[in-house]
Amino acid sequence: MGRMKKLLDRSLRPLVIYAFTVLIISIPVYFLIIDWIWENELDKHHYAIREKLEKRLTRLTLPDTAVDNMIAVLDKVQPGFSFNETTTPRPDSLYTVIRFDSFMNDREQFRCLTTDIRVHEKLYRLLIETNMEEIDETILAIAAVTIFFIMLLLAGFIYLNRKTALRIWQPFYDTLANLHSFRLERGKVIPLPASDVTEFADLNKSLDTLMQGSLASYRQQKEFTENASHELQTPLAIVKSRLDMLLQSQSLDAGQMQIVEQVYQAINRVSRINKNLLLLARIEHSQFEEKERIALDEMLAGIAAQFTDRFENNALHYAENIEPFATDANPVLTEILLTNLLVNAVRYTSAGGEVLVQLNSGVLMVSNSGTAALQAENLFRRFALASGEHAGSGLGLAIAREICDRYGWRISYHFADGMHRFSVRF
Amino acid sequence: MKILIIEDEPDLAESIGAYLAAQDYLCEYAGTWAQAREKVELYRYDCILLDLMLPGGDGMDILETLKKQGQQDGVIIISAKGDYENKVRGLHAGADDYLSKPFHLPELAARIYSVIRRRSFANHNDVVQNELKVDLLSKTVTVNGTGVILTKKELDLLLFFIGNKNRVIAKSALAEHLSGDIADMFDNHDFVYAHVKNLKRKLSEAGYGNYLKTIYGTGYKWEG
Repeated sequence: MGRMKKLLDRSLRPLVIYAFTVLIISIPVYFLIIDWIWENELDKHHYAIREKLEKRLTRLTLPDTAVDNMIAVLDKVQPGFSFNETTTPRPDSLYTVIRFDSFMNDREQFRCLTTDIRVHEKLYRLLIETNMEEIDETILAIAAVTIFFIMLLLAGFIYLNRKTALRIWQPFYDTLANLHSFRLERGKVIPLPASDVTEFADLNKSLDTLMQGSLASYRQQKEFTENASHELQTPLAIVKSRLDMLLQSQSLDAGQMQIVEQVYQAINRVSRINKNLLLLARIEHSQFEEKERIALDEMLAGIAAQFTDRFENNALHYAENIEPFATDANPVLTEILLTNLLVNAVRYTSAGGEVLVQLNSGVLMVSNSGTAALQAENLFRRFALASGEHAGSGLGLAIAREICDRYGWRISYHFADGMHRFSVRF
Repeated sequence: MKILIIEDEPDLAESIGAYLAAQDYLCEYAGTWAQAREKVELYRYDCILLDLMLPGGDGMDILETLKKQGQQDGVIIISAKGDYENKVRGLHAGADDYLSKPFHLPELAARIYSVIRRRSFANHNDVVQNELKVDLLSKTVTVNGTGVILTKKELDLLLFFIGNKNRVIAKSALAEHLSGDIADMFDNHDFVYAHVKNLKRKLSEAGYGNYLKTIYGTGYKWEG
């Protein structure tokens, strides 16, 4: 499911960033609009008060002194009003002020209107002010509400994303899971789940075509391998059998017998190379799939026993130090690996030399005496060491490495104490 | 002894036939799947050499038909399909032996000899050659009634020679026979000398005539 989060988070991230940005920008915008509505409403209200005041005071049928007294009372008693007699008319003024209010005992914000009213030919300068919410407190409140909604939105996003996106992408993950189980060498197309979403149906169809194509070319290659084997082995078999027949001829002399022997050797070498090339192809095409538990120590002992003749014949001193060790691998391939390493050691050790096989704590080391270190980088390449001097197919170590690569074993070479040392870490 | 050679390559079939004819085997040939099928249904053979890839069909069908009918013919698969799975499949289907191409004719002759010997009930235990007698059950060898102690390889070699009487055998064929899978990894077959020498010495010490000849140092021949 770790993979899943990645894709969904990716689609979620820009949404989150966008929502966050929009909501942050909305804070000053809200504030400006609220402030504008608030001030506008208060200004309208102030003008209405002014009109009513002027009309009502003018309509009063009272002596001027009484009116003056009433205005003086209003000025003293009515909160938010102040009257000042004036002689020169001045234009109205609308403004906002923040000051300390001794009554509220706090810093307060007021919306004010300064205007002129005329009562019975007397001009008054009137100030009306209304306490409103302070600007900073408004911003704070809006920000708090906005942030609350951001949180709500994000939580919703994440929840919905998990729920819906997961459901929407489910066919994709099903396809992916099915693809993981696809193995070319099994030769079967994996059935992909049907989907009514165009893209997924398209994806599955393309994958299906791809699998069919890969299988077809894999089959062709396999067939080619088999055909090549047949085509080459048959003429080789004819040559070999003809030589066997030639040998029966009574008229062969010593020189001719020698030639036949040399042809045998060449034919053997060709069949060996052919066999190994086919083996490499088969390993590369991931044949030899079956695995089983192999007791390496027992297998090694069995193979070493086959070499007894060779050790004696080449006057080689053979020593082994093998601890029990088991691993899971294909028995045919493992046998080929062990045989190739031993053949290599026997083939390139001169008479009287030493061959040592060690298997300790999961590391196999095959050592043989030699004079100088070999070029390690070329050693495991195909035909890198093939020369007229030795009878190798030039493929033995390449095959060994191919087998090791397949199981993740580490094969390496080093030269120490007059010994070539090939080791495999299982 | 009748042998059926089912092989689509005429050159190879001919070589096999010629080699076996000199061993007093009576050989018949089938070059296609249909021919092979016909022969197998009409006649009985002591041993059938079966190539798997045939024009017209899979040789494995023929083996399966034979086994289904309960026929006792010995079957040796000779195939270019040298892989392990095919070998297991063939032996599982009831083949007596499996030989991958290319092979040495003496190796084939030795295998045929062994298959027929195992299947014939008349002289199932003993192989007699002049004054030599091999008891296959107890794996003992006697010359004029005197026991000769042979190693496993020497006994193997002796039977190989007897199965290729009067034929010249190349050293590489002997090497291949003696060391099995790893034989073709080496060109030096000198170790064969040692085994042949020991076998010759032991037999002659027991009073066996000099029937095993070396031909110009590169081949061997068992005269009998």
